Amino acid sequence: MSITYTIDGVKVVAEPSDTILTSATRAGVEIPTLCFDKRTAIYGACGLCLVEVEGVPKLLRACSARPQEGYVVHLHTPRVDRARKTALELLLSDHTGDCRGPCKLNCPAMTDCQKYVGEIREGRYKDAVSTIYEAFPLPASIGRVCPHPCEDACRRKMVEEPISIAFLKAFAADKVEADGDPYEVQCEPDTGKRVAIVGGGPAGLTAAYFLRRYGHAVTIFDKQPKLGGMLRYGIPEYRLPKAVLDREIQIILDAGVEVHTDTQLGRDIDFDELREQYDAVLLAIGAWKSMPMRVPGEDLEGVFGGIDFLERLGLGERPTLGERVAVCGGGNTAMDCCRTAVRLGAKEVYVVYRRTRAEMPAADIEIEEAEEEGVTFKFLTNPIEFYGEDGKLTGMKLQVMELGEPDASGRRRPVPVEGVTEDIAIDNVLMAIGQGANCEGVTADLLTQRGTIACDELTFRTGIDNVFAAGDVTNRGAGIAIQAIAEAQKAALCINNYLEGDEVRARIPYFVKQEKTPEDFEDEPKQNREKMPGLTPEQRRDNFDPIYFGFSEEQALREASRCLECGCHDYFDCRLIRYANAFDIDPERFAGEMHDREDKPVVSEVIIHDPDKCVLCGLCYRICDQEVGKTFLGLYNRGFSTVVNPMVPDEARTFCASCLKCVEACPTGAMKSVPAVERVTQIL
Amino acid sequence: MRIIVGEGSCGLAAGAGAVHTQLEALIAQDNPRGVQLGITGCIGMCFLEPIVDVYEDDGTLHRLVRVQAKDAQTIYDAVMGGNLELLGKLAITPEDEQFLSKQTRVALRNCGIIDPESIDDYLAHGGYQAITKILETGMSQEDVIQQIDVAGLRGRGGAGFSTAFKWRAARDSQGEQKYLICNADEGDPGAFMDRAVIEGDPHSLIEGMLIGAYSIGASEAIVYVRAEYPLAIIRLRKAIEDATARGYLGEHICGSDFSCTLRIKAGAGAFVCGEETALIESLEGKRGMPRLKPPFPAQAGYWLKPSNINNVETYANVAWIVSHGGEAFAAMGTENSKGTKVFALSGKIARGGLVEVPMGTTLREVIFDIGGGIRSGKEFKAVQLGGPSGGCVPASKLDTVIDYNELAATGAIMGSGGMVVMDETTCMVSMARFFLDFTAKESCGKCVHCRLGTKRMLEILDRIVAGKGEQGDIEKLEDLCYAIKDGALCGLGQTAPNPVLTTIRYFRDELEAHIDEHRCPAGECRDLISYSIDKTVCVGCTACARQCPVGAISGERKSPHEIDPALCIKCGNCKTACRFGAVKVA
Repeated sequence: MSITYTIDGVKVVAEPSDTILTSATRAGVEIPTLCFDKRTAIYGACGLCLVEVEGVPKLLRACSARPQEGYVVHLHTPRVDRARKTALELLLSDHTGDCRGPCKLNCPAMTDCQKYVGEIREGRYKDAVSTIYEAFPLPASIGRVCPHPCEDACRRKMVEEPISIAFLKAFAADKVEADGDPYEVQCEPDTGKRVAIVGGGPAGLTAAYFLRRYGHAVTIFDKQPKLGGMLRYGIPEYRLPKAVLDREIQIILDAGVEVHTDTQLGRDIDFDELREQYDAVLLAIGAWKSMPMRVPGEDLEGVFGGIDFLERLGLGERPTLGERVAVCGGGNTAMDCCRTAVRLGAKEVYVVYRRTRAEMPAADIEIEEAEEEGVTFKFLTNPIEFYGEDGKLTGMKLQVMELGEPDASGRRRPVPVEGVTEDIAIDNVLMAIGQGANCEGVTADLLTQRGTIACDELTFRTGIDNVFAAGDVTNRGAGIAIQAIAEAQKAALCINNYLEGDEVRARIPYFVKQEKTPEDFEDEPKQNREKMPGLTPEQRRDNFDPIYFGFSEEQALREASRCLECGCHDYFDCRLIRYANAFDIDPERFAGEMHDREDKPVVSEVIIHDPDKCVLCGLCYRICDQEVGKTFLGLYNRGFSTVVNPMVPDEARTFCASCLKCVEACPTGAMKSVPAVERVTQIL
Repeated sequence: MRIIVGEGSCGLAAGAGAVHTQLEALIAQDNPRGVQLGITGCIGMCFLEPIVDVYEDDGTLHRLVRVQAKDAQTIYDAVMGGNLELLGKLAITPEDEQFLSKQTRVALRNCGIIDPESIDDYLAHGGYQAITKILETGMSQEDVIQQIDVAGLRGRGGAGFSTAFKWRAARDSQGEQKYLICNADEGDPGAFMDRAVIEGDPHSLIEGMLIGAYSIGASEAIVYVRAEYPLAIIRLRKAIEDATARGYLGEHICGSDFSCTLRIKAGAGAFVCGEETALIESLEGKRGMPRLKPPFPAQAGYWLKPSNINNVETYANVAWIVSHGGEAFAAMGTENSKGTKVFALSGKIARGGLVEVPMGTTLREVIFDIGGGIRSGKEFKAVQLGGPSGGCVPASKLDTVIDYNELAATGAIMGSGGMVVMDETTCMVSMARFFLDFTAKESCGKCVHCRLGTKRMLEILDRIVAGKGEQGDIEKLEDLCYAIKDGALCGLGQTAPNPVLTTIRYFRDELEAHIDEHRCPAGECRDLISYSIDKTVCVGCTACARQCPVGAISGERKSPHEIDPALCIKCGNCKTACRFGAVKVA
């Protein structure tokens, strides 16, 4: 005879054989559990399914408790929440692993690098491109220019060199284009909401792309004749061919974006009108102003702002330079400037930088290639005066510096060597020491003291209700393209939430992370990264031809196969991380001793067990015993040292039929089947 | 005349074996008075072992204490020479006699009196009369259970569940095959009640189990006893053989239709196997891990058949109840707690050992009247009841009576009977840490709250006793305690926070002193104390320097000594060695 009771007000009908958990599941009420599986006998280890029943003094485990007629069951009471959250916090206090790879976590846009690198390894290029597009558009462009924080974090560098993640991204995007099967944006049905985006650079384009996907109408306003922002006007052709950028912008525009170029905020359009005419406005106007050096002689003829110089080039001008050019600064813009100067015919090109090479923020490869192209680096020097004749620059005085104590950025602070200076004769100076925002046309109320737009870091809202901001123009100031893109990605989500009337907040999920050292990879066979084929210094010095040819397919496959797959293979199915994020827990609350077992038991030829990820739900050994009929796995030790291990010695591993049911049953990534490819290798 | 040597594990450990050998040798040479030499189990006065009882033919008892092998000749001479005055210097003092005289012994009625290896001795003391009465007078199962019900007997293993209720549930459970199990997996640190019963009076356990088996309809009974009790196993095995030979075990017991076998299963020493469902798993040959309840063992226990489990002390009361009637048992004790309870008294107590008192006795009476109070004149601080599952009761609660509910109200529990007495030099934080360390190690690892919760609690306590406690640690501990109590699967986990919770409840100031001031008020936590010598008191006797294991004490003879704090390992040897009180702890 069936009985009726309620869970959080929902009526549930239970048969005599039912527990609270089984009847709830049938009624569509989810009760969290890690250790329940209807194929096995009730076990009751995880303690997540605890519920409170009115009139029953003890909390009950829903997996085992039989409901009674009229039971009033609560899934959330202070007692239940405490016990359940504590269980999750305790589990995470001894759960070692990487939910996601360091590459993804270090990417501002949280691009799933491991996934697309894996897809490339399997030849699934279209899937790889789709994976990238989940994080941002413009993969072929970004793949060429990104300083790739992903690669900085890549653990392969502990073996030899990081994976060429950025170039692989460009490869995949180029490959689907070459195959005539480029990515197409899939949009939700139109919502009828309209969003204006001011600025069509990486941030504006990314926001347009995501907002179109959400189904909103998007209009981009840009002051330049063409879209692309700094990607077009700040990065020289030899690094990012305009044709590549054009084709990727077109993919976004094909999703149905209205574009008004040559339209400047404050001149051609009015800020207040915009926010009245549109449901939301995103300000993504970038940082286009070269920072002044504040030294005498900056107004001399021949002194340029670096970014202004590059912008003119992007607009199709060919600025005339003298024979001797000095670039001030050590970032990527400085490298773009000096290498462009070489290409424009300057005979002597200097980079003047007040620290040493080790402190240069520019990417290593840029510095190397600039040196190859003949650029002279003058480290530990700082311009203190530009001087000239008849208003025309002829030279600069440099203060010689040395490195002192580390500053706030962690880099050692350059300090002047008293009384030691140096003079160099130059015809031009390109100042590339930083970029500021130019917020003309934006209400002054929204600006910070630094002249950027003040916006909340999690909601991207400005001081005005329907106005959002993202990219270089926000509080943090100019950064790399992928940072602007990442902000735009989150800002688009926030704008969508805002338009849908939801909470406006980009939530950063919790991930389990671990630290690794080179010793952890001592046994990994060495395989250096693929060399990017390209022009020799001689071939590239006097023209703006693209310097890289891109990976061949063979190279890409080889390169992708180097990935160590740091991120947990079970992330998307892992119930532990899902609950950890669902129940608002503090994973650090009970931080203490953590297991870091060196040897991961090999269960069989195809199954590896990682006890450091194991939550001891017992499903693997219970399935093996009760479902498969073998008792191949079992528990060893007691208390904190309890561990699941094969019950038979190594030579008896054939006893395991490799049915993989333990792997499927595991609620986390602790039971892992060796990928088919590796299995073949092992057998060979 | 008879000479009886107390040969429980405690007596043997104190040297009873050598005393016995000596006496045996002397008597074997010449025994003009036909003196009989025998053994008995533990009488409970562990602090006086080895104990030798000399019975005159008229039954007059001369109890000799702290007897050593060298005393054998004296005893022999006195007995053979008929000059028992000679035994005076070995005789128990009147004060120490109070230890026994203030007790009421039911479960321990034969312990220390009869020869545990002789079924005849048991029979001579009224043994097997209860089961015989049941079978010969045709008492029904319900008749027997009714007596237990009237007696108000509650489980003596810790939780105090009604024995009659459990027996009825097992009896009413459908099933051809039923089992009766005895939990002799006594694992609490400092508890040895069950061992004393099995070593001292194994037949009373067998008889109690037989009555239980009859009452629920079980034909197979099993004693799950820890393998660390070798002597108990030997004596129980012999008792089973003897009882089987005499027809008290096996087919058609006492000529009736009732048949029951009894066997021993030696446990491998996991504390959690004292939890009844984990014990059943272990009996079945599996890893000792608790099962979820329900189903209770009465419905689905050993091999999923109806089973009843009680502990040794519970069964040891049963034959007495049947013989004397439930009312006689219920006449002792309080409203909620009838009969007597055995306690293992240990710690900083003057007279440690096994005591059995009626329920309703106050803690003060047990500790001060029977136990003689604190050793070496120090202040009583607290008593820890119920071992790792229990809690500490402070001096202000000493008039609490022994009663399941009254003790639970203090935050401690009746438990199986561990009673550890602490004085002013015991750090209560360190005490809580000790028990947590025990449960964390003994956790079976199955449920999250216990496996990881006790580990994290231990880590917090570890840092507190090391002087590295953090603000908020007490609150974090409390929060964790309540979450574990609610979330743990079995009794081990659910009660594991009790020692910590009672420490927080009664000795919060001590915890705060550790955390806020990095100070251990009791002077026990080594990371928080330092030893020094008061130069105005030190006479330069060099006793401390000679006892220092690391050579940290220096000084000329007859002039004040000094401790090098860099070398000192804070073992406290110097403080013990100093006869002038010159060694100070701060």
